[in-house]
Amino acid sequence: MNRPVLTMKKLIALLLAFAFVFAACGDGDGDAAVDGPTIRLRGQDFSEAVTIAEVYGQYLQAKGYDVEILTPAGFRTEAIDGLRNGELDLIVDYIGGSLTALAPDAASSSNPDEVVSVIGPAYEEIGATLLDYSPAVDGDALVVRGDSTASTISDLADLGYVFGSSAQCFERPQCFLGYTDPAIYGITFSDTVTIDFGPLLGEALAAGEVDAVVWNTTAPQIGEQGFKVLEDDQGLHPAQNIAPIIMTAVLDEYGDQLRDDLNELSALITTADLLAWNTETDIAKRESDDVAAEWLETKGLTS
Amino acid sequence: MVVGQAAVPRDIGILEWLFDSQSWTGANGIVASLTDTVILCTIVMAVAIVTMVPLAAWLAHTRRGEVSVSWMVTLSRAIPTFAVAGLLVPISLRNGWGFEPWPIFIALLLLALPPIFLNTYTAIKQVDPGAVDAARAMGYSPANVLFRVELALAASVILAGVRVAAVTVVATEPIRAFLGGDGLGRYVRDGLGQNNDSLVIAGAALVAGLAGLTALSFRTIERVALPEGVRRVARTATRQE
Amino acid sequence: MILAQASNPLVRWEYFIDEWDQIQRALIEHMELTVYAVLLGFVVSAGLAAIALRFRWMLAPINGFTAFLYTIPSVALFGLLVPYFGLSRTTAVLPLAAYTLLILVTNIVAGFNSVSPEVREAAAGMGMTPFRRLTQVELPLALPYIIAGLRLAVVSTVGLVTVAAIIGQGGLGRLILDGLRRTFWTPMTIGASLSILLAVLLDGLILLAGRWATPWAERQRGSP
Repeated sequence: MNRPVLTMKKLIALLLAFAFVFAACGDGDGDAAVDGPTIRLRGQDFSEAVTIAEVYGQYLQAKGYDVEILTPAGFRTEAIDGLRNGELDLIVDYIGGSLTALAPDAASSSNPDEVVSVIGPAYEEIGATLLDYSPAVDGDALVVRGDSTASTISDLADLGYVFGSSAQCFERPQCFLGYTDPAIYGITFSDTVTIDFGPLLGEALAAGEVDAVVWNTTAPQIGEQGFKVLEDDQGLHPAQNIAPIIMTAVLDEYGDQLRDDLNELSALITTADLLAWNTETDIAKRESDDVAAEWLETKGLTS
Repeated sequence: MVVGQAAVPRDIGILEWLFDSQSWTGANGIVASLTDTVILCTIVMAVAIVTMVPLAAWLAHTRRGEVSVSWMVTLSRAIPTFAVAGLLVPISLRNGWGFEPWPIFIALLLLALPPIFLNTYTAIKQVDPGAVDAARAMGYSPANVLFRVELALAASVILAGVRVAAVTVVATEPIRAFLGGDGLGRYVRDGLGQNNDSLVIAGAALVAGLAGLTALSFRTIERVALPEGVRRVARTATRQE
Repeated sequence: MILAQASNPLVRWEYFIDEWDQIQRALIEHMELTVYAVLLGFVVSAGLAAIALRFRWMLAPINGFTAFLYTIPSVALFGLLVPYFGLSRTTAVLPLAAYTLLILVTNIVAGFNSVSPEVREAAAGMGMTPFRRLTQVELPLALPYIIAGLRLAVVSTVGLVTVAAIIGQGGLGRLILDGLRRTFWTPMTIGASLSILLAVLLDGLILLAGRWATPWAERQRGSP
């Protein structure tokens, strides 16, 4: 009975073969010109955030820093958790969003400096430093179709619209809770639909599945489809400038050089840039890393 | 007229949420979501059974389609359900058909077809030829042979296939909540979006519970509807599944 | 019926060429996740099956447990593990392995149960030690069932890996998710097609490996 013995050996041989194939699939690493720890950066999982991460990441790489741009994943919670548990060193967030996440009970404000005065210390508590915020803003937007009679959010009060947004919005004071709060907007919606954040919101709005969606001001489909952003007449939406947040330990390793470089970049990004990037990725369907590389080159930032 | 969705309280205990009557009633309550889920799954299963059982039985009875069967089954198992449903959503929206029911219906149907088809096909194919010959010798017409003898013997295996399909459909239906719909998956979706772990666990428990209930119901039907003798014959006739 | 537009066709071939690096990386990541998950699942299943075969009364609870795991929505399981293991490979592999347990345990147990008592007695009668009996008699006979189980597990895991894209670990699922987020057909089509192809390829590989390892079974079996 020789065959069964061969079976075992054959099985082991097969397993070893597989193991070798995968051991061979490794990655190489490059060298950086500036000495210091690797800066691990990760963008949130939507096209604008991915492009922003690529812009910051490629910019630092061009300056000679050792940067690892991780696969985009998760949203704000995962980004901040990543800082907390040592997975990440650098993230870029929207200051209003950071406010909601780090200090949910603090008063919201459409003034960026007020927001920064709250989240700055909050980030310090987890060992991170909030750097200068950029003039680029991607704010919350309540969007309706072009033919709607409303022009401010208050106008929605009795229209009985169907409301669409992602799941997070329904328990946020600056979002659904604020819209339906009698003390703020007091709107009565006839129904609600939960939609994944992104172009699907526009698809649903265009198809008539919903009448008002919570979107962001730099969504390129808004202009393209002739949608309207309603005016936030009660000032519910917080300021949403983008700002980089970096682990203080990593920042200290590099001294002022890194701080200045990052602040220099942040100052150069404008809201129009965000919209342009989104148009490239979501309408022209180009890739974020290409769009970022192109923008950096036009600005003469890639030496 | 529904006044918007009441905010889900942040992270109350799972048991408290489950035992709170408010969680069960209302348009967003568990009962409504459960009904939504059950209705969709029932329709999917009905269509799958009505189309696959006759087709597979006929193919097996007339000894056709052997090679393509196993390939078809592997292929359909390999299709990423979420991708199919997700791909169909924009198409559905742009053609004015809304978020539901087509994308999720088609995706779930693709999941339900293979087990029912394969089990029916295998069961009919493996039916003891002796029994079929005896029936033919007794003068049964081909159609009668199929219905009274082959199907009856194959019933146990077919029901097992239906059970597997049903459980898979129920367990996968939650993705509907991520594609503009609701149903039982909404609690997992909302919990994930709102960082409410208790809600995620409660939602997952509800789905697992319904799937378990489905499995148990079918097993009971199998036990009750089929006499022991038929099951024993079926089991020995179709050992390699 | 509106399916695709000129600027957004079902597959834009330039994308395929330009993003080949990314696609290749996604493919490899997808394969790695599948292999790790099935390997881990197999090891755990072998253990569970051994327990179920040794202590017959454990079979029902073990079956119940693996079936229960299978019904937990994958999105929920991924989401629940993120706070503990971060957006890492571990968070993806653990649930994926859990989903293979039902198939693998069922098939391993069925495989060893298919060995008739006469064969076992014959082996014992020939003076084989329990270990040799297990490895030289029972294991080869159970192999066809185990191979069938592995094929099923691998194919379904390939499909489930795409869901792990929501935690950044999805391999080809990342392409699908990206396409979904930007309503861009090309990565969706490429991601879905490649994952189906990968499943068929891996299924075929295991089938061939099984035939190579169990040549005698070919003569018994009529059809694949």
